[in-house]
Amino acid sequence: MDRTGQIKISETIAVLFIFFVLILFGIIFYYKYQQAAFFEKEEELLGAKAIEITLKTLFLPELICSKGAAEPEDNCFDVLKLDSVDKTFRKYADDYYFDLFSYATISVKEVYPGDSSWLLYDKPPLKINRKEPTFFVVSLRDDLTDENKPQYRLGYVEVVAYS
Amino acid sequence: MNKIKSKSQSENRNNYRNRTSYRKGQMEIIGLVIIVILITLGMLLMASLALKSEPQKKTFTGKGLAYSTMSALMKTTISKEADCTSIGLPELGKNIIDDCARHLDSASQYNCIGPTTKQRLHSCDFLQEMSFYLLNATLGSWNKHYELHSQLLIFQEEKPIEIMSPVMVEGGCPQGKDRYSSGLFPINTESGLVENVLYLCD
Repeated sequence: MDRTGQIKISETIAVLFIFFVLILFGIIFYYKYQQAAFFEKEEELLGAKAIEITLKTLFLPELICSKGAAEPEDNCFDVLKLDSVDKTFRKYADDYYFDLFSYATISVKEVYPGDSSWLLYDKPPLKINRKEPTFFVVSLRDDLTDENKPQYRLGYVEVVAYS
Repeated sequence: MNKIKSKSQSENRNNYRNRTSYRKGQMEIIGLVIIVILITLGMLLMASLALKSEPQKKTFTGKGLAYSTMSALMKTTISKEADCTSIGLPELGKNIIDDCARHLDSASQYNCIGPTTKQRLHSCDFLQEMSFYLLNATLGSWNKHYELHSQLLIFQEEKPIEIMSPVMVEGGCPQGKDRYSSGLFPINTESGLVENVLYLCD
């Protein structure tokens, strides 16, 4: 009888041990999953932030190609505005543009025919945990040409969002 | 009296055995249920991970980038360095495409110097070389795959004519692949309608 009891006890202990091992595996798995999900969520949020900043940049009145009261041109930056906007961006970087773009770097690069570049906004955080670059191809309209009509160059805007 | 006692004792023992084997069976069933629940939970988690929707950024940058690239490409003015032997500087999506569609089988009006070969080319060849050059400098440098098609639709003609062979990199973006389209960019020419479309994929 004693022996049977002992066997039963050890059997119960073994079952409980396996049960707790399974529970432990479950907890580890859940923890790993949560960790991965957290990083994924963080990346998604940063991606959303990058999109938001890119959209704001593309439709910024300080840069977009406009002509009087006419509808502004999509995906187009005015070279004249790009050449002179640097001062405005620097002057109001903290009290206006930071509210718009937060921690980010925005630059425009010409691909054809020249290779000019414009650094519009540069505000990286002190400690960079993660950064998400987003590119968008744009036309760069140059109204100061020898001909009567404007010329369109090809370039891209690069927005780097930080977290 | 003793016989009766031993009989009742053996009955009790039998009952006890039955009860313990019943309990053992119950415990095994509980263990099995726990294992099944754990496996089900694991599978549910895996399924939720697999069925997770496409990230918002990927869709936005895919569609938006294809559209903006095509829009910028069509507007691009050909520089003086290309020396297009024409009055004024031509636009890629307007003058060059129009000229190519009009002079598919004859000498073209615009004979610009290609950005890669540095040779004077027929407008259709120039269109192809320039498109490749520009797309490679933008999408190509970001490791994106692309495929650009330009087709001429002639009135009352059944089949569209490719005015240039598709501009693509590393196999382009075939139909089965997850790809984003810029949408059609139609250009009206004297020969008919030229439909341009850019596909973008990773």
